[in-house]
Amino acid sequence: MIMKESMGPKPYMNPYLAGVILGLTLLASYLVLGAGLGASGGIARIAAYLEGGLAPSHVGSSEYFGAWGKEPLNYYLVFMFLGVFAGGLISAVLSRRFKFQVERGLKAPRPFRLVLALAGGVLAGFASRLAQGCTSGQALSGSAMLLSGSLVFLICVFAGGYAAAWFVRRQWHD
Amino acid sequence: MISTFFGLDALSSSAAMAAAFLIGLAFGFSLEQAGFGSSRRLAGIFYFRDMAVLKVMFTAVLVAMLGLQYASGLGLIKEDQLFFMPSIYGPQIVGGLIFGVGFVMGAWCPGTAAVGLASGRMDALVFLAGAGLGSVFFNELFGVLKGLYTWGDRGVRFAWQDLGMSAAGFGFLLVVVALVLFWGAEYLEKRRTVGGEYWRSPFLRSFSAVMILLALGLMAMEGRVAGDRPAGLQISTSALLAEIESAKDHMEPEELADRLMRGEPGLLAVDIRPAEEYAEFHIRGAVNISMADLPEALAGRENKGIIVLYSNGMTHPAQARDALFRMGFTNVYMLTDGLVGFIDRILKPASLWTEPLSAEQRARINSWRQYFLGSEKPQPAQAEPEESLAVSQPFPPKWPGLVEPAWLAENLGNREVRVIEVRAQAQYNSGHIPGSVCVSHDNFRGVVGGVSSMLQPPELLAGHMSLMGIRPTDRVILVSDDKPHDATLVAMAFARLGHARFGILNGGFPRWVHEKRPVTTELPQVEKSQYPVPSPDVFTVMHKEIMEVLKAADHVILDVRPTEYYTGEKVDEARGGHIPGAKSRPYTEDLSKYGKVTLLKPPEELSNAYTSLVPNKQTTVIIHCRTGHQASQTFFVMRYLLGYERVLWYDAGWSEWASRSELPVEK
Repeated sequence: MIMKESMGPKPYMNPYLAGVILGLTLLASYLVLGAGLGASGGIARIAAYLEGGLAPSHVGSSEYFGAWGKEPLNYYLVFMFLGVFAGGLISAVLSRRFKFQVERGLKAPRPFRLVLALAGGVLAGFASRLAQGCTSGQALSGSAMLLSGSLVFLICVFAGGYAAAWFVRRQWHD
Repeated sequence: MISTFFGLDALSSSAAMAAAFLIGLAFGFSLEQAGFGSSRRLAGIFYFRDMAVLKVMFTAVLVAMLGLQYASGLGLIKEDQLFFMPSIYGPQIVGGLIFGVGFVMGAWCPGTAAVGLASGRMDALVFLAGAGLGSVFFNELFGVLKGLYTWGDRGVRFAWQDLGMSAAGFGFLLVVVALVLFWGAEYLEKRRTVGGEYWRSPFLRSFSAVMILLALGLMAMEGRVAGDRPAGLQISTSALLAEIESAKDHMEPEELADRLMRGEPGLLAVDIRPAEEYAEFHIRGAVNISMADLPEALAGRENKGIIVLYSNGMTHPAQARDALFRMGFTNVYMLTDGLVGFIDRILKPASLWTEPLSAEQRARINSWRQYFLGSEKPQPAQAEPEESLAVSQPFPPKWPGLVEPAWLAENLGNREVRVIEVRAQAQYNSGHIPGSVCVSHDNFRGVVGGVSSMLQPPELLAGHMSLMGIRPTDRVILVSDDKPHDATLVAMAFARLGHARFGILNGGFPRWVHEKRPVTTELPQVEKSQYPVPSPDVFTVMHKEIMEVLKAADHVILDVRPTEYYTGEKVDEARGGHIPGAKSRPYTEDLSKYGKVTLLKPPEELSNAYTSLVPNKQTTVIIHCRTGHQASQTFFVMRYLLGYERVLWYDAGWSEWASRSELPVEK
């Protein structure tokens, strides 16, 4: 019994402590890179790279992706994104939280959850290009600088989220 | 004082990439430790079940905000070392709302999904694929979204500025709001019997106290340093903002280009990029001053004349301009969209514009390009093929001369522009320039007076032209594969016919393909013409004339065969060696190869080389090789590109000279 418990996942870190570490990471990013954290920029660059592999001339001539040149992956946020993945992997393995699964409510069908995840991804990916950042680049990094637009973005994210929450609640029903 | 990669303009260096990776490691680690590798936990905030997102995110914002303010208050870092995102309210409001919907649907955001994937969550993988797709959709829709993308752009704005507060005062307010939310969240969780373990805990009490103390300390520090700041800061800031709002601080690339071309006195363009980048390329006439040196270097120019700052983008000039404005400079502008915009709007060839251009616009662009690229164009000699070949100039050609693919592409539909491909038939059949005909250079040669491989007499050449439907008024573009001398040999036929309006496609067919110009497999419609027969040309000489020239004083014989034939080491004829007094200049010396594309070297380089061989343009020059083929290229270069006035072509060449034992030979 005791053995079993010790092999289970470790409890999450105190959220305030995790927040302090995250805040110090963001501060380090500003003091070293001169720019904040970012995640969606890396994803978009990887997407541009993959699309470029399928239709190089189309991507090269497109106005938004085209501006990233022939090597969209040659960008610091792509490397940061890889770091996020690696850091997450190290932490998940150390805390025994790594588990292959589709997270959802017990009563929620797996395809339903995956469709919502896909649709949510499309919306978030699109919106973060429009707003030039996501929760990391705008809400977190911009708010720490007390930038007006980033704080407005942060408020709008939660406004949009709470407005839509009721409609997608079933994916978490147990 | 800290220098950041952004401040050093080195965010794309490999060191910055490594630093970004390490920061990403810490970022991912803290997100996972917070429990954000679980979509269920992330979604909790939207159902008031699990408020971890609020606690972690706001704590991080507070810590980084306090850290940044202390760092700048203590003078550890200056504003110019940091990238400040602009406030663009339209996309930030619309994007924020859409993002929120996506967040609650997918229960991931981009960063946490990466951590979720690393924790084995397949819904995170699906979310990331969706986010990639969403980015692609945005790219596809960018044309229609452009208005929204920049709608409500107010530049860099701080919330405390908008609210008329001090930064520390606003920071304190934010700390109080966050702490109220934290305590509220704990209470809420406790009421719902999940979590809430920090409600009234000693931990949360001391955490709250530390945050308040740090925020108060910041206010105290700001009060102390406030005296050091210039008294007029508030006024000049609002004047500055007013100017920014009315876009009086910008100069458009077109305006700068025109004013620089006019040589306007008092106009100073300043390149604030690192010296290496300036050395590589800069706007003609611009001076290079680093940001740190600006106040000193511009000291005498305060409110005298006009100063235009530029960098690659806009951020650094904007910061420099604001700093100068605060110092009292009201005559500083920044170049709209920076060097990137200048290249796009001024230096991009007319042929690469996607929108239709009027003739005046084309002429304007051409004149800009001539002025700004003409004398300071980076030498393509050692550059990568893609770079040196990517942009071809659409200048109207000089006849006879070189034709750029861009010009030909623009003039393809013109009935008076005829394209002759001097390429192998099989290759022509598998793809050629639309409307072109294919001919072998050997079609124009034959046995004349017992000597083989001689260019045919005018009446035969005129017959060929008639069959190809070429009229004397046509502009004829000759296209070779990777051997420009195939095209120049056919050019000799036009020269013999007195047909001056011909050009060689610079880089030939491989360059045309490299630039992704149109190609077809369809044969053209050709109507037979009646090409008139002119009198014999005056530039072709035989051995008798050469013996005459040898007696004259001012002459040079150029032997363009490979050196080993000139020296006699290699012999394919009756005798080896060269004509007495001849100089060696292998035709291959005039070429440079970029991948599959063979180009003639740039005119300056050719001019230098030939000036040392033949200093005087009036000198009689006799050019020969073995059969006249390679010599045709040197003839083209000297006669048409470099403007030598008396260039003679010894078509029969060494194959005749060597076989006539009475003619002198030197080894």
